Parts: sequence; C-alpha cells; structure tokens
Amino acid sequence: MNSVLSVKNLQVVFSGFKALKGIDLEVGDREIVTIIGPNGAGKSTLLDAIVSKSPVAEGKVYYQGKDITNKTPYDIARMGIGRKFQNPNVYNELTVFENILLALKGTHGIFASMTAKLTPQKKNKIIHVLEQIGLLNYASTPVALLSHGQKQWVEIGMVIAQDPKVVLLDEPTAGMTPEETYATGEIIQSLVHNHSVVAIEHDMEFVKQIAERIVVLHQGEKLAEGSVEEIQNNNKVIEVYLGREKIDVDAAA
Amino acid sequence: MAQSTLGIAKRSQIPFKLVTVSGIIFLIMAAFPLFFGSFQISLMSKLLLFGALAVSLDLVWGFTGILSFAHGVFFTLGGYAMAYYLKLNLAADGNTYGIDLPDFMVWNGLEKLPWFIAPLKYFPIAAVAMVAIPAIFAYLVGTFIFRSKVSGVYITIITLAISSALTTFFISQQAYTGGTNGITDVSRLSIAGVDVPLNGLYWMILLFTGCVLAGSYWLTKSNLGLILRSIKENENRISYLGYDVASFKIFIWTLSAGIAGIAGGLFVPLNRFISPVYLAVAFGTQVVIWVAIGGRGTLIGPIIAAMLLGQVQNYAERVTQDWQLVVGILLLVVVVFIPDGLVGTIAKLFKPKQKVAR
Repeated sequence: MNSVLSVKNLQVVFSGFKALKGIDLEVGDREIVTIIGPNGAGKSTLLDAIVSKSPVAEGKVYYQGKDITNKTPYDIARMGIGRKFQNPNVYNELTVFENILLALKGTHGIFASMTAKLTPQKKNKIIHVLEQIGLLNYASTPVALLSHGQKQWVEIGMVIAQDPKVVLLDEPTAGMTPEETYATGEIIQSLVHNHSVVAIEHDMEFVKQIAERIVVLHQGEKLAEGSVEEIQNNNKVIEVYLGREKIDVDAAA
Repeated sequence: MAQSTLGIAKRSQIPFKLVTVSGIIFLIMAAFPLFFGSFQISLMSKLLLFGALAVSLDLVWGFTGILSFAHGVFFTLGGYAMAYYLKLNLAADGNTYGIDLPDFMVWNGLEKLPWFIAPLKYFPIAAVAMVAIPAIFAYLVGTFIFRSKVSGVYITIITLAISSALTTFFISQQAYTGGTNGITDVSRLSIAGVDVPLNGLYWMILLFTGCVLAGSYWLTKSNLGLILRSIKENENRISYLGYDVASFKIFIWTLSAGIAGIAGGLFVPLNRFISPVYLAVAFGTQVVIWVAIGGRGTLIGPIIAAMLLGQVQNYAERVTQDWQLVVGILLLVVVVFIPDGLVGTIAKLFKPKQKVAR
C-alpha cells in the first residue's frame, strides 16, 4: 500500500510511564482510519506524537516518505497535516470568519501576514468552507457565542481551510446531539474526496457511519485492526473493550 | 451576493469616518501651541511621547498578551543615545570644562572619550542608535525568552529583573553613564545646524505619535493583528495551523522596543536630562498603568490615559504630594471594576448587539 502517513514502532514516555508502546500505523491516500479504544489507551497521545505535541521517545513518523519525527508543530502543519483537538480548540474572541481565515493555507510569515490581502479567491475558499460546515450565516459571529457542537464544526472548518493532505480528528463529535453527529459524519465523508482522515471516536454508531478501517488501541498497544465487521467479531476486542458496550451497539443497530 | 451581509466585505475598505475624525483631532492637536504657553507645550509634548510609549506596550501586552515592565528600559536606552549626542554637541564654552569631554566624565577621571560613545557625536549615528540599541537589546532578550518557551508570568518577572539589573548597572558605571544623576545639562536639539524651537519639537513629536498610532492601527487590523490576538488567546493552537509563534512574538517585541526607543530619544531634548529613574521599575509600572487604565488592545486608550493622568498629575502635585497614592487607588478600581479600561468599556457600551447563535 502507498502510505501518506506512516508510523513505525512509535513510543511515547511520560516521566517513566509508557503511554505508547510501539505503535505501527499506515494511512493510505484518501482513506479513513478510525481509532477506538478505552480511556487511557493512548489514542490522543498517538495524534499528539504525530504532530509533535508530545515528544517521540522512540520510533519514526513518516509523511509522504519524509521523516517528520519530532519536527516543530508548525513545520508539520505547513507540510500538510491538520489537527483537530478533543475539546474545541478555537478562538472565542475572533469571529467564525476570522478563525477560518487564520487557518487558511499560505500566509504564515510575518511580513506576508502584514501585507496579505483578502483576495476574492481566499474569500471564496472561506465561504466554501463555511458552507461545508454549515455556518455561513454565522460568519461574523464571535465564536464565543456559538454552541458546543458549532464550535466543533468551526475547528473542523479550520482544519479543512488548512487544506492538509492528512486530517487528524480527535473526537469530532464529542458533546454533539445525534443530528449534529450525523451531519459531522457527512462532513467527514466528504473530506475523503481530497484528504486522508484519521479519526478518534467513542460513538460506535458514528464509527459505523464513517469507518473503512478501524484500529483498536489498548494500554498503549495496538490490539486489533480491520473492518467494522472484523473488529466487532474479534474476541480480544470484545473482551477488553466492546464487551461492555456490545449491548449498546446491538441495541442501536 | 451573500458576502456583503456577512460583514466580510468591510475588511478591505478604508474607514472614512475614522480617517476624518482622527484628521480633525490631529489638526486640533497641531494648533495646540498657538493657544498655550511654553510650559503647557512642553508638558503636552512629553505626554504625547508617553502616549507613544504606552501604545508600544499595548502592541505587546494588549494585543499579544505579554505583560512587560521593561518598556521604560527601551524608552530610556533610546533616551541615553540622544542624551550622549546632545551632551557631546554642547558648544565648548557651554561645557563646564571647555573641552570635548562631558563634565561627568571629567569628574570621574576619564581622560578621553570612550570609543563606544564617541560615534554618538554625529546625528545620523545617534538617530540610528536611538532605535537600534533598544531594538537589538529587545531582540536578544526576546529570542532568549520566546525561543526557550518561557511563558506567562515568568516573562513578566524577567522584564522586572531586566529593569532592576539595568538600573543598577547604569548607576554603577558612573564614568560612562553619569551614575544616579544620569546625563544632565544637555544642549538644545539642532538639526543640520538649525536650532529646533519648542513648537517645532512639539510638531515633530505630534507627527511621531500620530504615525505610531496610525501604523499600529494598520498593523493590528492586518492579518498580523489577527495572529497576535490568537497568540494572546491560545498560542499553542496557532502553531498547529503552521505559524511559528516565537518569531511573531520576537518581531512585535522588537518593533515595540524600537518605538519606545524613539519616544525616549525625543523625550531628552524636552526633559533636558535622562537618568536611571526612567530605567527603574517604578517608571515601567507607570507605562503599564497607562495601558491598563486606558484599555488594553484599544491603542487610543493608553494615549488618552497617559495624557489625562499627566495633566491631572500636573495640578494634583501642587495640592498634594500623595498623587501616586491616588494613581494606585485608581488602578485598583480599574482592574477590579472595569478590567477593559476606559476606552475598552466605552467601546463595549456602544457596540451593536451581536447575533447570538440559535
């Protein structure tokens, strides 16, 4: 498989505690990989290590064949990896429009940002993103006034505006109503036309909606990998993770 | 079609109302010397410079969220550069000892001008030094602070330390700096052999402060302003959007120090001396107070606060010596009851109600 993002034997250590004990992950072009696992399994840590938020103790991260292990977060972002954080990490004091503008690909230098003009192309790109996340009518609203779910969409919009090759989403539906969750699923599925997506999720219904391939993490190790079917019937997974939720899944299905 | 209703289109247009209002205020300010005596003109010039100094801190604190007590230091470094120039250009008969060496150097046993002070005799060099010395100093300190990821209150503590350390250093190097007295009895400012009258100096300063204000306004309305505000709210997030946060901080920090340095340089011909008093934490705190009372992130607020407090102080000091106590109480009231400052609070009252989601 031709991987866009490739993680090899990744280890992250927090003052003696091994949060990740050698994870391998391959993400292909325009593929959705969903990561599930109980709390403390190392899901967020894995994304943190990829974007250099947490230092990698051992192992490598390759992006399009280039070694990006422990590069600076802004270098990794500029190369084409976008990250959405678990709690909506958006700018409350800025408007929705400004949040997207900030994320827009291109003007990252000091002098470039001083003289940057809001060209029609940029404006159209932002409007397009706002349409995608369904917030066109809130363009000039300060983000502080939005609901939790809408803030989540703003951050997804920021990641889309970055136009990265790889989109990393940390619980994009946390705190959303079922309708909002479904709408988010559609946004993510539309992303796959142009991006590779790695999404962390808890909501099994949502996972079934978007997932092509699922990776299960448990205590810093990869427990299983495969399609929704395979994971649901995997004995190890049922034992440590799905077991207590299997009833929910079946009830929902 | 939908764009005009989004409030997006406004961004690129020239704000005519703002330009007109500021133009009128600028003209009124320019006419000021025609109606007032030299004491008021001189006081007003100083207050305009304090205003520019306060704006420079507002860029760093109000917009980027870095609280600095070192802006008095940048101001004073520019001031010393200008003071050396004016001191070295005293006519020989105006100099106490009638030679090229400034009086305080003679008292301290220096026999010739130190090599690092000598070039400041020439105006172009002094003019460049007035900006460059504080800016380079700020760049070095800033690179150290911001690249090493020192953040929040620790930066503020470092700025306090810088202020204290430099005060002690300047006092200890009496032979070169004039010690506690600083550099006194300097000549009047003359450019290309022509004496600059007080009115001329006032207009120069008005123009400078006007440019600082307009430039800062333009800067903060650009994408750079957006980035600075984002750094203030959450500096980590923006680095995952591809921005090198440290370089933006170093840039605005250095720029702000350069502005403060020019203000300090222009201050010396008015004040006729510069001393470590302006390096000390008390003066740095004064700048912080102007910005806090005027309103962080409003640019015009800190100027208004600097001028109002300066004018009130002028009269209050004739009545009571405890004026600083009044300022202290005022600061407490502002911090507790109107944290947005005067202009910030007024602006909020007049802002149209925002559309609330749902």
